[in-house]
Amino acid sequence: MRRLRRLPIGARAALAAAAMTAAVGLLASWLVLTALAETQRDRLAEVVRMHVDGLSLALGPAAQRRDIWEIYDTLDRAAATGDGRLALTVVADDRGLVLAASDPRRAPTDSALAALMDEAQPIDALGDPGLSARLRVLAPLAHQGRRVGDILTELDVADLVTERRRVTLALLIGNTIATASLTLASYLVVRRALRPLETLARRMGDADGAPTAIPLDEAPRSGGEIARLFRTYNGMVAAIADKADAGRRLAERERFVSLGRLASSLAHEINNPLGGLLAAADTLRSYADRPEVVRSSAGLIERGLSRLRDVAQAALDQHRIADDAAPMTPEDVDDMRLLIGAETGRLGQRLDWRVAAEPAALAQWPATRLRQIALNLLLNASAAAGRGGRLGLALTVGDGGLRLEVRDDGPGLGAAALARLTSAEAPPPGGGLGLRLVRELAIELGGSIEHARDGAETVVAVTLPGRPGTREA
Amino acid sequence: MPTVATRRGVLFGGGVAALAARGRAGAPMRLGLTPVFLDNDAEVIGALREALSDGVGGAIELVQRRTYQEVTGLLLQGGVDAAWLCGYPFLQHEAALTLLGAPVWRGRPLYRSYLIAAADDAAQALADLAGGAHAFSDPDSNSGWLVTASDLARLGKRPETFFDRTLFAWGHRNVVRAVASGLTRSGSVDGYVWEALAASEPALIARTRVVSRSELLGFPPFVARRDRGSEADVAAFRAALMGLHDSAAGREALVLLHLDRVAPGRRADFNGIASRMADVAGLR
Repeated sequence: MRRLRRLPIGARAALAAAAMTAAVGLLASWLVLTALAETQRDRLAEVVRMHVDGLSLALGPAAQRRDIWEIYDTLDRAAATGDGRLALTVVADDRGLVLAASDPRRAPTDSALAALMDEAQPIDALGDPGLSARLRVLAPLAHQGRRVGDILTELDVADLVTERRRVTLALLIGNTIATASLTLASYLVVRRALRPLETLARRMGDADGAPTAIPLDEAPRSGGEIARLFRTYNGMVAAIADKADAGRRLAERERFVSLGRLASSLAHEINNPLGGLLAAADTLRSYADRPEVVRSSAGLIERGLSRLRDVAQAALDQHRIADDAAPMTPEDVDDMRLLIGAETGRLGQRLDWRVAAEPAALAQWPATRLRQIALNLLLNASAAAGRGGRLGLALTVGDGGLRLEVRDDGPGLGAAALARLTSAEAPPPGGGLGLRLVRELAIELGGSIEHARDGAETVVAVTLPGRPGTREA
Repeated sequence: MPTVATRRGVLFGGGVAALAARGRAGAPMRLGLTPVFLDNDAEVIGALREALSDGVGGAIELVQRRTYQEVTGLLLQGGVDAAWLCGYPFLQHEAALTLLGAPVWRGRPLYRSYLIAAADDAAQALADLAGGAHAFSDPDSNSGWLVTASDLARLGKRPETFFDRTLFAWGHRNVVRAVASGLTRSGSVDGYVWEALAASEPALIARTRVVSRSELLGFPPFVARRDRGSEADVAAFRAALMGLHDSAAGREALVLLHLDRVAPGRRADFNGIASRMADVAGLR
């Protein structure tokens, strides 16, 4: 039954039609064969009755005086003039002893009729001739109203059996052809009826599950409902495409927002050493003749420019795209600290930075995506902590994989922000996409996200499983 | 032998003309027959009637009875003017009957009686058939009863005790049918009939075989009442018989009967039958 359910609906409909046709065919065949058997039985009964009646009339006197020759002569002539139906006729006296038979070798005179009585049917209760080629019928032989013996007639009914077999075969072939034809027709009709749905299913599954619109010329010309269904489906496909497009635009916008915030932090970071550098330049100009002052100022300028170079390099690394599969390194961790340090420094925040991971262990995860996860969480924590607040990062690598924990003493995540970070549901419109990006990247890497309030702190932890085989990458 | 008489009797048409001339002017001559021989051969009877009618120049009425006894009775009582009888009833009533002619078969007015059994029966002689069922053709037939009865009489036996059961089939062809079908183990049959059937019904004859043949005996003759033998119509009938082979219709009838011609009968040809009659009478 389960296997049946797994079949396509077209095949199931065809099988149902086949079963019904076969059932109707069997019933009709049974009725035909039953009627045929009754007709044959009636025909046989009539033949036997006429035969016996005629013989009774002709043989009554001879049987009474036991005239063997006359009985045989009559039986022999009757057999010769018959149509071959009468295979054997035996006349016995009232003691059950054979007087004569149409074939004396099979039923010798004075032998017991009982020897031939096997399966003999009385003429008044003739049954179905069945599939036996011979049928024996027993009838009384009467003369002047008195029973003077018996007549046993053996009928050759091979032609009737052949007729019945031929009818049975014809019915079988006819039913098979009808069943096969109807099954095929049912299959074709159902398949044609279901073709629009197959088109719909194929379109919904195209391109790795991304639904695509159906050209309306593929809709059946006469199928009003199907055409409406196709139009509704196409509307849904368009809506999904619009939504995806809007999502991409929002992500792009969020990227620019993040860039803006980073740019602001970087400007601040660059601005800080600029005062010192300008002052050093002024000192050089004023004390150009004092070598120790020149050396001191040059050193100051060099340190400031080194700082600027580091900041510029970290910003470039954060947005590199080409090397997406590059493994995480301790330098990437330092870059993250440098980048968020600009923001925390601007806001006068305290940053608690704890990293416990071997370089080789870190290399299991891709740098770009891990940096995006960490920086987005840190930027979000920084914004939540506010001016003078406190935030921290803890990165550990153990048997369970990599655990990145970011905490802040801000007021905690709102419901919408929390949904973007942890829910599988589509995020409601509006709001930043930074936290949603964290979720998507974590899921891409097979990880999970936990959120908790630890006292006055908000803790967001991302756990990424280890990726054996990528360690050396 | 009586069987053969049936068809031959028609030849007596010439005799009929003579009878008509004797006081039944305009009435057809009546010839007595039995269906003992070739009883189903309407073509033969028709040909005989036509040939004899031509010979006597008048119509012939065929009167058929089942047994020789009936035909002999008719002849003696004047119910028929002539008859084709077996030699045995002819001798039984020899004082009242006269020979008109004897058919010639295979060059002689003689034939044999055959003792037959089924084709697969191993019997070699009459003695081997003791205890079985036996078919005779007619109690007044020479070949179909007298020969076998006299053979048994010479052994000191009677048919009713020698055989388990006997029956009369009223025709030589019927005797062959009885033996061929297995209704009886053996039968006594006219050798001329058996040979004729071998040509016309070979399938039937093939189911039988001849166990023994008798000596040559007088062929069933055409006879009339002795007191009418000199009448003109009887003489005309005898002349028609004698000239049968001279006309086309007569030759056609003779071919159908497998006979050569009809010759004047000789009493001496029936001596063998007379001897057998004496043997049977001796046992009684």
